[in-house]
Amino acid sequence: MAILEAKNIHKRFGGTEVLKGVSFSLDRGKSLAMIGSSGSGKTTLLRCLNFLEKPDEGVIKVNGETLFDAADPSTHTESDVRRKRLHFGLVFQQFNLFPQYTALGNVTLAPELLAKDDPSYGSDKARILARIRDEAKDILAQVGLSEKMDSYPHQLSGGQQQRVAIARALAMKPDILCFDEPTSALDPELSGEVLAAIRRLSERNITMVIATHEMGFAREVASQVIFLSDGAILESGPPEQVLSNPQTERLRSFLNAVL
Amino acid sequence: MGAGLADVTLNLLEGFKLNCIVFAVTLLCSLPLGLGLAFCSMSKYRAVRAVSKTFVWIVRGTPLLLQIIVVFYVPSLVFNVSSLGRPDAAIVAFVINYTAYFSEVYRGGIESISKGQYEAGQVLGMTKGQVFFKVILLQVVKRIMPPMSNEIITLVKDTALMRVIANKEIIMFAQEYISGQGLIWPLFYSGVFYLAFCGGLTLLFGAVERRLSYFRA
Repeated sequence: MAILEAKNIHKRFGGTEVLKGVSFSLDRGKSLAMIGSSGSGKTTLLRCLNFLEKPDEGVIKVNGETLFDAADPSTHTESDVRRKRLHFGLVFQQFNLFPQYTALGNVTLAPELLAKDDPSYGSDKARILARIRDEAKDILAQVGLSEKMDSYPHQLSGGQQQRVAIARALAMKPDILCFDEPTSALDPELSGEVLAAIRRLSERNITMVIATHEMGFAREVASQVIFLSDGAILESGPPEQVLSNPQTERLRSFLNAVL
Repeated sequence: MGAGLADVTLNLLEGFKLNCIVFAVTLLCSLPLGLGLAFCSMSKYRAVRAVSKTFVWIVRGTPLLLQIIVVFYVPSLVFNVSSLGRPDAAIVAFVINYTAYFSEVYRGGIESISKGQYEAGQVLGMTKGQVFFKVILLQVVKRIMPPMSNEIITLVKDTALMRVIANKEIIMFAQEYISGQGLIWPLFYSGVFYLAFCGGLTLLFGAVERRLSYFRA
């Protein structure tokens, strides 16, 4: 069953239509890779899923629940957005770690703040905080950063910072984890460790939407690839089909340019 | 009145007490008020922005000396209400003036933080308040320490201006030695008090900057 359904997403910035009716669905535990040149709408689509942008038209459903429907203003209320966002996680191209917190602090901050909404927080604070800390340490170990938990972001390499950002997103236990070109700000030699961390997540059947320029990685990790061009999906399907047997001239020239 | 160094020092300290009080109260009020005004200057409502920008323009565009006089005299002359006490009028004028300057320092700091920091907090389900107080504020504090230190040190010396409405601050005490005993050195000596106070503040700001050097923002 589809965990994520996006239907007919439109987004305009001023007079420019950046997304022109994008629809796709994704099954639980699968990964979707979005490819396409800069400006094709990949980032905007991810930002719409994470409620950083509000689509002008379209519907977003997770687990069958309508989180957003442009035609239904009752799904737009600010107060709900915070709760709805928790269905999604987003790893940014530029990491955006919080510089004044250690790696561990970056991972525990949001879960600690969220725990304050828990009615039992007052009576059970110490135990809840200890549990959050233990989980965060676990997650950092999963991305290979047990040794770096007490380091501040500026003391870490780009690849390590991005792995902290992945851990930070995972700690919120999102249904769907989104990546916005997670290796584009990294040297090629540092991309490998980040891609390896994402690959391990896909092996654990974490549902992911990944915007990427790494075609080899997309082929290996994704069960489905969509090619965005000028704000619309031009081709989609399993990676071997889309990447090996492009049907459109536009995708052929894109693949030739990036490979 | 004796004119030995010890006597003069004690006497001038008596005057400097008022400078210190005005300094402290102004900081206590203007630091939070300035932050509030900075938010108004960045409000999404045009009218709010217009009001706060006009306020900043007027306050920064006129001499502080004049503002002190206006705060002291205008209520009784124009509106026929009793005027504030002399030290209170000075404090009100300083708070108004420094709120405007501090707000611009805050605004510069807040606007220099990348949008990505806000968005990272938001996608983690934090409220706007949590993002500001848990993520943004400390980075802003670190970035504005140098300009803020400048403003605060200027405030120390600006407290001398309150003598324009006959407040008994240190320089006024010092000048009484000229008229009373024909001695001018206490006036020059009063500068030492300012210098020592600003020296202490400089050390304090240095310590705060070192405390915040564990991260880069």
